[in-house]
Amino acid sequence: MRKVLLTLFLALFGSVFAQGAITVWTHFGGPELAYLQSSAQSFEKATGTKVTIVTVPFGDIKQKFILGAPQGKAADLVVTLPQDQMGEMAVAGVLEPLDKYVTQNYVSSLEPVAVDAFTYGGKLFGMPMFAESVALIYNKKLVPNPPKNWDEFLAMAQKMTTGDSFGFLYNEADAYFNFGFFNMNGAYVFGKNADGSANTSDIGLGGDAGVAALNFIKDLRYKYGLVPDGVDYGVADGAFKDGALAMILNGPWALGDYKKAGLDFGVMPFPTPPSAKKSWGPFVGVQGVVVNAYSKDKVAAVNFAKFLVTPDSQIAFNEAGGRIPVSKSAVAQLASDPVVKGFTDAIALGTPMPNVPEMGKVWGPLADAIKLAQAKQDSNTTQIASDMVSQIQKAIAGSN
Amino acid sequence: MKLVRNVIAYLVGAALVVYGALLFRGMVRDVPHTKAFGSVFIANGWVIVLGSMAAVAVVLLLGSLGYTALANRASGRERSPWPLFRQAVTHVALWVLIVITYYPVIQVVGASFDPRNNLFSFRQVKSSNLLVKAKVLPDLAGASLENYAKLVEGVIVPAWQWVLLVVLGVLLAIALSLAVARRLDPGAHSLERWQNRTLLAFAVLLFTGLALISPGQFTGITTESHFVLWVRNTLLLSGATGLLAVLLTATAGYAFARFKFPGRYGMLMGFVFIQMFPGFLALIAIYYLLSSLDLLNTFFGLLLAYSGGVISFGTWVFKGYVESLSPSLEEAAMIDGASRWGSFVRVLLPLAAPMFVFIFLLQFVGTYSEFILASLVLTGVKSWTVGIGLYNFTTGSFSTRWGVFAAASVIGSLPILATFYGFQRYFVSGYTAGAVKE
Amino acid sequence: MQRHPPGFRGLALALALLTAAVGLSVVLGMLLFWLIQSRIPELPAYYLLATISVALLPLLLLFRRRFPFLADWYYLLPATLFLLAFTVYPIVLTMGLAFTNFSGQNYGRPDRATETAVTYQAPATLQFASDPVKALSCDQSCVGRQVEVYQGNDRSRLKIVAESADSLTLNRAPSFEPNPERGQLYVARINNFRFIGLGNFTFILSSASTALWPVFRWNVIFAAGSVIMTALLGLLLGVVLNDSKLRFRNFYRTALIISWALPNIITIQMWNALLNQQFGAINRLLGLLGVYSIPWLTQTEWAKLGILLVNLWLGFPFMMTATLGALSTIPNELYESAQIDGASPWQAFRGITLPLLRTAFTPILLTSFAFNFNNFNLIYLLLPQGGPAVPGGLPTANSTDILISWAYKTAFRSEGGSAYGLGSAIALIIFVVTVGISVFNFRITGAFKEERR
Repeated sequence: MRKVLLTLFLALFGSVFAQGAITVWTHFGGPELAYLQSSAQSFEKATGTKVTIVTVPFGDIKQKFILGAPQGKAADLVVTLPQDQMGEMAVAGVLEPLDKYVTQNYVSSLEPVAVDAFTYGGKLFGMPMFAESVALIYNKKLVPNPPKNWDEFLAMAQKMTTGDSFGFLYNEADAYFNFGFFNMNGAYVFGKNADGSANTSDIGLGGDAGVAALNFIKDLRYKYGLVPDGVDYGVADGAFKDGALAMILNGPWALGDYKKAGLDFGVMPFPTPPSAKKSWGPFVGVQGVVVNAYSKDKVAAVNFAKFLVTPDSQIAFNEAGGRIPVSKSAVAQLASDPVVKGFTDAIALGTPMPNVPEMGKVWGPLADAIKLAQAKQDSNTTQIASDMVSQIQKAIAGSN
Repeated sequence: MKLVRNVIAYLVGAALVVYGALLFRGMVRDVPHTKAFGSVFIANGWVIVLGSMAAVAVVLLLGSLGYTALANRASGRERSPWPLFRQAVTHVALWVLIVITYYPVIQVVGASFDPRNNLFSFRQVKSSNLLVKAKVLPDLAGASLENYAKLVEGVIVPAWQWVLLVVLGVLLAIALSLAVARRLDPGAHSLERWQNRTLLAFAVLLFTGLALISPGQFTGITTESHFVLWVRNTLLLSGATGLLAVLLTATAGYAFARFKFPGRYGMLMGFVFIQMFPGFLALIAIYYLLSSLDLLNTFFGLLLAYSGGVISFGTWVFKGYVESLSPSLEEAAMIDGASRWGSFVRVLLPLAAPMFVFIFLLQFVGTYSEFILASLVLTGVKSWTVGIGLYNFTTGSFSTRWGVFAAASVIGSLPILATFYGFQRYFVSGYTAGAVKE
Repeated sequence: MQRHPPGFRGLALALALLTAAVGLSVVLGMLLFWLIQSRIPELPAYYLLATISVALLPLLLLFRRRFPFLADWYYLLPATLFLLAFTVYPIVLTMGLAFTNFSGQNYGRPDRATETAVTYQAPATLQFASDPVKALSCDQSCVGRQVEVYQGNDRSRLKIVAESADSLTLNRAPSFEPNPERGQLYVARINNFRFIGLGNFTFILSSASTALWPVFRWNVIFAAGSVIMTALLGLLLGVVLNDSKLRFRNFYRTALIISWALPNIITIQMWNALLNQQFGAINRLLGLLGVYSIPWLTQTEWAKLGILLVNLWLGFPFMMTATLGALSTIPNELYESAQIDGASPWQAFRGITLPLLRTAFTPILLTSFAFNFNNFNLIYLLLPQGGPAVPGGLPTANSTDILISWAYKTAFRSEGGSAYGLGSAIALIIFVVTVGISVFNFRITGAFKEERR
């Protein structure tokens, strides 16, 4: 299989490879890391370019890359970077624009959402490798028939919330996990300029839409009695793995563990409550391979990146870690997989995370607003929403 | 005047207590009436616990009264029963405190044997033991070494390292039995010398062995399979930082204590106040400095970055210690023709050995827990320290791995625990030397 | 032995000589380094440290022969040099950053989103395919902005002096010779790194009511509360365990220091899991006692109390040990003579133990306060998000954040957006506050007077 892949890859790109050595930073672990390492070996065998894989914690990559790249102390490639960190790194000057290395064919072979995610300032800054979003994952043992609508979902979840088991939990204080609830109420992060780029002076998380979203998040705890205080990612994830939780809002990265725990699970978009303006739609994150602008061997780096993002490679990667491919042909080949379908449905409903550097100023205030809304039954969500927007505006203004 | 001051002090104290009580009442009122998930809730359980404590106290009281009465009758003396009762109650109270102190530790040790990857255990526990059923004590029914196995996955240990391990074990056993022998015969000074020699040999062999562990031995793919390597990295780094602390502060502390050159006061204050800048907030500058010296991702670079935190405190403590020693010995040596340096090396340094051990240990223990600077300077799993690794277990992107964390914690604390208990008296004497001086 | 020249003149002379010696050795070391580097090109830069040391040693000996009084200073030299190179220098740089807008976005490097393919026309003009102002996304005009021109691995930083509808004029020709055969020539605008004076401090003050002031207040309460709680429990235990009549007291001493002996990177993260409101082991234990689940870590006041209790657990063994150490210096004869004089144990305690502890404990308490004031590991590892949010507050300064965790998150965590300049400004504030506390500390313990001898 691997050999076939390689021959195919060489036939497709057929470029002349230089000998050399490149370094890759990755935050992968487990089977995904194993996959990356074996890819590096096959790449080395085919091209003679030695690839060194270095594990860097996800939270440290941006920091270390921005500081290290101009000093020549960062990797040639990062596998992979989410698009919301990409903008800041592009502006900092450490990412190489890739338009000059890729063909129009390549770009049109990708899902448009993935191309948009890695386009900033009209330039492509990364090669998208997989997409991800949260969706409702349910334990088929506890939920034999998935809920068809919000009322069924609520009834099921409430019935299963007893002292010893939970119906529905999620990483309640996190902005990324909660964004779907904002989206369905008509809230958005940044407005759009005429040319399609983000208008960072138009922040759409406040107003009636934002307040409605915060109220819904609050209701999940106090009105519906589903999500108690103190639930974070680890708690929800652990409860689901232990079979004590029927339904969880989580992403494809968790599926490997769920399979290992022997769970039979299904995936579907979160059912939209009738009060919402439109259907629930999560943040769509796209992760891609980016190239160091200060790399000594950009050609080799770009070639390895291309090697990693071929449709076949994306399928193999899906088998390793369950991530959702972004190449049209890979998606088509995996369309029959119910898990992939569940997530692609959710992704289709979602909104891409903004990739402008200003996004970095949104996460903190948004998460704080969510926490404040949840803190008390009588929290003043109107005030919280308007505080959040002014915080974001102040932070964006302060950074110039 | 004094009366007024006392009254004011008491009033302020009382006001604080009242304020605290009111605040606490409000906090208690705000606690939602929910029960911890899967816990056993015993309404008024505290009454039962307090009641049984009172019962224990009564039993102790009766016991000491009875025992003293019997003893008095037998010996014909008039002894009060209160000291005995007080001692009994003290023991019980201390044991309660020990239980409270060890409760979290027991939880983590328990979690390290739990193959399910979390500290929050959502399973129903079937057990006749109330404490286990309430998940207050770890349920060891499904215990396994899986978490520990993950930490050593794919580690290749060559034969000579096994031999070294055995030798180290033998040396440690000798040192321990010598310690026991000394306890039995406190007068034997030759035993002490031998004990120190064994310990020295142990330390030298240990660190040589550690330095010879090669990253190539760790062939596992997972992050956590490099854990032993992290322990080795951290021990080398902490040891080197401790040594550097001793080397740099010995002469500086001595100079501040003994010499009277102009500018001494200013220099001393400079040394002390430089320390006040929160060092790791200078991260960016340290990064650029190390980068320009090609020292990024090297232990030597990190050691240099740590050196700043080492110097001020060590110098200050050592200066205090030297001041508490009488200069007469050094003066005598100098009259005998020794130079300043000679008297420092031959007279003072041997005297100050316990202080060096103290400074070394303090730095060693302090460095072990550092992770901020380390995670910026060191890149790649093979050069991580225990701190970076443990932090990564609990904050990885979308995963908290309490099982592996717990197992790593158990193993990772062993070296520090051993150091601490092995050299306990140096910690006490070090702080005492500091305390008594002022 | 020659006496040290006294007074300011002596100090100036000594410092001048030392600076000369070190400066000279740096020059010589660099020369030596370059000499070796010309032979071995891949020599890492840290060998510079070695060559400087090699140059320094003979110089010092030489200087001492001429000025014997310098010998005293040589004892201080190693520590001082290390401090200057690896502490003072980074601190000075960081203080400088506090007055800039330095951040990931304002990084003083070419903004790759503005990368544009251009053609070069001598003497110094760049020809664009479209409007350069838009391509480089300059605000109104590109005149005066810095750009980087690059081709392959050659790069040159230049300034724009004039613009037209499709071209820009540079202040001079690039440092390399642009050549169309060697690949495409690109230009990118340098992002906006600049000196902003007191801008960062104005920002901090403008959010003083929701960030600086509450954070500072909690910082003081946290440090003081920790010291008081640990000192009270430590004193009590120390006095109890110092009683020679108590059996097994060595066992208790050893057993009770466990929480001090364990590395805090482990114990603090462990507490984070144990204090979880719904699932933590502490609330399960409290459930047995009939206590409802306490919102440790999720409600402001409880989170603060939780932090104080965890710090009590972490800190009491140190205070206990310090008490035992101080008490062990009281000779037993004192108590014996007190007993002979008919004093009760309580009177002996008040008359002998307490006064001694008061003098011995003042520096320990103050050191402990200073340590806890910047106790980053506890605050950040126990509650990485800083606990419950403050209404209208900054995401980097939540209700349990102290100054140092606020600064760290501002500069280095995603909620702060790599605002290095702002973070440095907060670090500067911490520095000033900590120095203030220490000056107070030294006044109280009389260390100033003592040292000024």
